[in-house]
Amino acid sequence: MVTPLDLIRKKRAEAVSRIIGKGYLAAKRVYVGMATCEIAAGSKEVMEVFKQAIAKGIVKDVYLSQKGCAGRCNLEPTVEVIETGKMPVRYGRIDADKARQIIEKHLKGGQVIEEWVIG
Amino acid sequence: MMEYAITICEGPTCIGRHADRLRAILLEELAKRGLKDHVRINISGCLGMCHKGPFLVVNPGYTIYGGVTESDIPVIVEEHIVKDRPIARLAVQEDHLFNRFYRIFGDVGFFGKQMRITLRNCGIIDPENIDDYLALRGYEALAKVLTEMTPQQVIAEVKQSGLRGRGGAGFPTGLKWELTAKQPGPEKYVICNADEGDPGAFMDRSAIEGDPHTILEGMIIGGYAIGSNHGIVYIRAEYPLAVRRLEIAIQQARQHNLLGKGILGTNFDFDIEIRLGAGAFVCGEETALIQSIEGARGMPRPRPPFPATSGLFGKPTLINNVETWANIPVIILEGAKWFSSIGTETSKGTKVFALAGCVVNTGLVEVPMGTTIRQVVYDIGGGIPGGKRLTAVQTGGPSGGCLPESYLDTPVDYESLAKAGSIMGSGGMIVMDETACMVDVARFFLEFTQSESCGKCTPCREGTKRMLEILERIVQGKGRPGDIERLERLGNMIKKASLCGLGQSAPNPVLSTIRHFRDEYQQHIEQKRCPAGVCKALLTYTITDACVGCGACKKVCPVGAISGTKKEKHVIDQAKCIRCGQCYTTCKFNAISRS
Ligand SMILES: Cc1cc2nc3c(=O)[nH]c(=O)nc-3n(C[C@H](O)[C@H](O)[C@H](O)COP(=O)(O)O)c2cc1C
Repeated sequence: MVTPLDLIRKKRAEAVSRIIGKGYLAAKRVYVGMATCEIAAGSKEVMEVFKQAIAKGIVKDVYLSQKGCAGRCNLEPTVEVIETGKMPVRYGRIDADKARQIIEKHLKGGQVIEEWVIG
Repeated sequence: MMEYAITICEGPTCIGRHADRLRAILLEELAKRGLKDHVRINISGCLGMCHKGPFLVVNPGYTIYGGVTESDIPVIVEEHIVKDRPIARLAVQEDHLFNRFYRIFGDVGFFGKQMRITLRNCGIIDPENIDDYLALRGYEALAKVLTEMTPQQVIAEVKQSGLRGRGGAGFPTGLKWELTAKQPGPEKYVICNADEGDPGAFMDRSAIEGDPHTILEGMIIGGYAIGSNHGIVYIRAEYPLAVRRLEIAIQQARQHNLLGKGILGTNFDFDIEIRLGAGAFVCGEETALIQSIEGARGMPRPRPPFPATSGLFGKPTLINNVETWANIPVIILEGAKWFSSIGTETSKGTKVFALAGCVVNTGLVEVPMGTTIRQVVYDIGGGIPGGKRLTAVQTGGPSGGCLPESYLDTPVDYESLAKAGSIMGSGGMIVMDETACMVDVARFFLEFTQSESCGKCTPCREGTKRMLEILERIVQGKGRPGDIERLERLGNMIKKASLCGLGQSAPNPVLSTIRHFRDEYQQHIEQKRCPAGVCKALLTYTITDACVGCGACKKVCPVGAISGTKKEKHVIDQAKCIRCGQCYTTCKFNAISRS
């Protein structure tokens, strides 16, 4: 008999493969905070910059996702860049212009922009 | 940039097993090898894996080393840090639900000292994609319950966990479930209270926006436990994004057969709908909330009967707060025994606070019960900015109270906060520095409850109005002898005689500030003085000898109250002065005194 637990394990495996299918295993993953508080601070524009950059092929091998509020109200909008094997980098108070610089310097150039990092 | 971050758990159990000694050895070892600049050491509060302690978490990679001994430290440094080869022998392989944020945020002081159970996925997953939730063991608790637990066993587990309601009153959740389950009849309701009306509170909104499926999963489990097929989320219309994410989540859950008929192949049916509230504070009170869903005006009614016996449409109804629901999947998967190991004797688990006010790191914070207010404000919040002095910490919003500096070591749990004269409430925490006037703060909160009073019962309707009038005359400099006693008498009367929790708690901000800051009230009434310099009517601005006669103040004064010739000391005509303070902020020479 198939139990609910069996079913949910199957669902999880399928979910994981769908996430991977969307490019989760890319070298770099970018997360943009998109809760009410983050959006009020301007995160929609930031998200748009990353979306455009990926759509236009300016950056490759990047997985982009939104996320809820992590709790750093005074530092929003926040953006995380996670690379396999490296310490996650969390940027605070990012606007569209800073997002473009993150794309140029960090995603393309591999250089962390220390002054915006939340420590 | 650091290449590694090592987090050492220094919760009580791990300290008991000499985690601090491990830290000293680790620091020594790193110094010896010249690796100090490459590794960052973080100290965390209890990470909730006491049975494996003492332990370290190495990032990147999120390798957890458990049962670490002193002789393991050089090995970890040599193998993992120098050669980048994690040590399988020491690694703990456990897929916990809690503290998932550690992988990403664990090395940041603000996060590292927290423990995240209800906010476990907030800021980590995409809240609009059920796949993200499923991948992190989402709906596994529901599946477990449907596969191997009877409703009675679920209730027993929740009871044993010691979970208490997070909506304010702290009623034991398992007991409430048991009472509702015991009621006869096939028709019962499950409600999630997401009204969140306290000014400054945003815990529930953030929880729903960041991880809506957790709430749904908790509610479905609740429905199974009490024998209900119908769930309702009551949420204010002012939270459009949270509403939209809930709608998406419900839709996706239905597609996956996690809501609807025959959930996961069983014969259990359950569905959830959303009801929007118009945003009245009193509609968060459970009986008023139920009336509001029924289509009537949101007004509380006397209890008993409690909703457990006669709730929505007169049927047995289980109503819990958002944060209460979010704990349920974790309790089911990690077990009541583990859950009850977190927190204090009477308050188990964690509490989320919306930390705001005069504090460096404002934000959403989740800490184990029993953490002191000082730890929240200083260790996580980063203290008071601008070198100012802390005057008070307000908890519980308009139903709570202000605690002075001397009460900072009060642990956050239901009983300790109540004993100190405040309440846990739903989780607002406002830090105030020396620029806050306690009388004015009390007036602010009372103004809120007074205008939100639904008017049904006299003590609340008339009493809060009279109290507000007294407070208003005090801040206007028209306080009379005996006003403090009048406030105390009225306050205690309103608390005792009001119909619902709104009136029963409305005097708290006033009574607690009188208890802890009585001298501030006295100064306002007797000397017509506001020590914090907030109450406009009580301030006098004068120009001191430091004045160089630049004329800047004269220019900004909107009523022409300042006169004087250039390069000579100016004067303020007190009869004309409206105490707006513009001269005070404009003067570059600190030549204007305010008292
Ligand atoms: C004036 C007033 C406002 C309330 N507002 C809320 C609210 O916004 N959210 C909430 O969960 N509980 C609120 N409550 C508490 C509810 O009446 C009820 O106790 C709670 O929803 C029960 O859930 P719990 O046991 O999980 O805390 C309020 C109570 C009062 C008296």
